[in-house]
Amino acid sequence: MNREEARTLLPAYLDGELDPAKSVELEAHLAADPVSRAACERLRSLSNAIRDKADYHAAPAALGERLLDALPAAAERAPRLPARRNWPLAAAALASTAALAVALTLATVHPRDDERLEQEALSSYVRATLSARLADVASSDQHTVKPWLSAHLPYSPPVVDPSAQGFTLAGARLDYVGGRAVAALVYQRRQHRIDVFVWPEQEDSNLRASVRDGFNIERFARGGMRYWIVSDLNRNELDDLARLLGAR
Amino acid sequence: MIDRRRFEQLVLPHLDAAYNLARWLTRNDHDAEDVVQEAVLRACRFADSLRGDPRPWLLAIVRNACFTWLKANRPAELALGLDERVGEIPAPEAEGPEASATRNLERRVLNEAIAALPPQFREVLVLRELEDLSYRDIGRIAGAPIGTVMSRLSRARRLLAESLRVIVTASEPGASR
Repeated sequence: MNREEARTLLPAYLDGELDPAKSVELEAHLAADPVSRAACERLRSLSNAIRDKADYHAAPAALGERLLDALPAAAERAPRLPARRNWPLAAAALASTAALAVALTLATVHPRDDERLEQEALSSYVRATLSARLADVASSDQHTVKPWLSAHLPYSPPVVDPSAQGFTLAGARLDYVGGRAVAALVYQRRQHRIDVFVWPEQEDSNLRASVRDGFNIERFARGGMRYWIVSDLNRNELDDLARLLGAR
Repeated sequence: MIDRRRFEQLVLPHLDAAYNLARWLTRNDHDAEDVVQEAVLRACRFADSLRGDPRPWLLAIVRNACFTWLKANRPAELALGLDERVGEIPAPEAEGPEASATRNLERRVLNEAIAALPPQFREVLVLRELEDLSYRDIGRIAGAPIGTVMSRLSRARRLLAESLRVIVTASEPGASR
């Protein structure tokens, strides 16, 4: 890859829109060429500056309220309630106004990191499914996967083989999550694929789970690494894997 | 027709994103509120069914309303971005401020530099950096193919970097280059 090509690919790379094969190629070029690396840093720092410093204009609370007022009340689905039982509706309306005010206050800060990471990890998972590019290195051998990752990343993520517990290592790929290249370890349980995103993080944090678009997502940090686990596997079995990886 | 309950579920979570886009495009609170209110209300009244992700749907509606507003109220600004040559600055040796300079950048300077971009470039930048949307969603919202999104985004960044470089260089104490 030459500088010219690297320059055209850099924005898509930093935006997480470059396919893994090209990303790997570009990263190899960046590692070798200080001029392109500097261009990459400038672009990244511009993007970070906008995200950190540009104004985010949250909608004024009054706007949401005016819109609500102008719309018809929800169509009746349930049998009509007797008038004296209407107070729960009033209470709900009050509560939702209060919730709205809180939501609008909270939303004046940028979408939270956690949510952004959750979105990015899930996107990576779905993208891999759609493009059928699940792994750049397909191997069930941890001693093949780990060196491959170390060779492509500035850190060496732990690769465990929990096959005795019913999780099969299927390989790994590189992806771009949270503004950095990360390892995505791919495990399999029955028909379910599980992606485990790993990158260094100093501060430990306990296991936390959420559901997004029907996928289970868990995250924790332990032993200098942060883990994000995304799968269509059920929550209990996903918890098992998280524990095998060191979660508490 | 979207009733209050559906509005709270589908639209309200994305109202900040819609307003942020409108505020960046109209560049003032008053017009942003008017444009968003009218566009969202119309959309809610006439939407028979909303399939798929409500976020790009809502943002596309608001975005189109903003461009209609710009056409009526700021035609000169709009024409600036239609010139496809804008932003095609030949890649200079030193493009944009150094990474360290960007970190020390003042909020106000950055905001002004973004606000000064032609609206077609401003919108892709806002959608990408502040709303964290994918190229695909940005394309849906701006009614442009992904290739166009990529080239606009890249020009937007280049223009911004260039204007920041000029400002940062000029403000360096004793700078004479």
